[in-house]
Amino acid sequence: MSLPIAPTSLSIPPITAPTAAPQSSPGGGAFQSAFADAVSKVDGFQQNAQASVDRFLSGEGEELHHVAIATQQAELSFQMFMQVRNKIVTAYQQVMQMQV
Amino acid sequence: MSLFSSLQVSSSGMSAQRTRAELLVQNLANSETTRTPEGGPYRRQDVVFSTDQQASPFSAMFQNEVGTGVSVSDVVTDTRDPERRYMPGHPDADADGYVAFPRINPAEDMVDLLSSTRSYEANVAAISSVKDMISRSIDIMR
Amino acid sequence: MLDGITGNLERYIDLLSARQKLVASNIANADTPGYKTQDIDFQFEFMSLAKGQQPQVIQSQGLPEKPDGSNVNLDREARLLSENQMRFNLASVLVKSQLKTVHEAITGGSGS
Repeated sequence: MSLPIAPTSLSIPPITAPTAAPQSSPGGGAFQSAFADAVSKVDGFQQNAQASVDRFLSGEGEELHHVAIATQQAELSFQMFMQVRNKIVTAYQQVMQMQV
Repeated sequence: MSLFSSLQVSSSGMSAQRTRAELLVQNLANSETTRTPEGGPYRRQDVVFSTDQQASPFSAMFQNEVGTGVSVSDVVTDTRDPERRYMPGHPDADADGYVAFPRINPAEDMVDLLSSTRSYEANVAAISSVKDMISRSIDIMR
Repeated sequence: MLDGITGNLERYIDLLSARQKLVASNIANADTPGYKTQDIDFQFEFMSLAKGQQPQVIQSQGLPEKPDGSNVNLDREARLLSENQMRFNLASVLVKSQLKTVHEAITGGSGS
């Protein structure tokens, strides 16, 4: 007698699109504000990382792993932002090349 | 207390154990010494440890990154009366033929030396472990 | 322009290497009679040192003196050697990370 083995489904949560997703609707204002929001978030990460590094260097008791994680967050958020920007530009160019 | 200042704390532990070991070795070597410059036989010496606030040499203000290390606050000399043995022919014998010997039990000091070695090793292991943690934290960024 | 990005870290690394040289000479002179442990006042130099200037060498305080007049504590020097090296690793990785971000901005993230 063999026990039926129920297949386990590994449900990986889908990667949510970043807030700077291109919106092709005429809501240009919504897109603009979403883009500005993303820029300020990335900038926030950068500032945070820089402040963390400065605190560590001046010996004010900043923990080492805080510095490591903050700089990684800044780096990764910037990379993500660049990739999204590239996608947006590519999509824009494709739209412009379309024969109407 | 950051990881770096815990290195300093472990290092202070190593220094303290080293001093203790030096004194124990001195006691063992002089366990039969009857003649000293101060007069009389050698007297056993021991250390007194106390906690000591250790500031990292990289820290800005004394309050930050302070760990509680150990330091040797005092070296105490045994004040008990020396052991007297009857040896009339000895050059240091007094009028009654008794010679004053140090009151040192070598077995006791040997055991203390072993325990001091173990503490030293434990501090070294702590330093290794902290160094490993720091390296791995830095590796997050590589 | 790029100076502002890594300026702080560069000064930190300068001071670390100055200190490491002093630690090495302290260790070499561990048995020299009368030798006093040398060091730099790290925080003070970090705040006030201009670029390219050499930090001032001072004598370490609070170290017990041995009978032969030298106050070198080998545990302290070994620990400083190791701590300096790790801080140096950290600073170099931080510089690399910051310059990488700039590089990505220049190449537009395409990696070419």
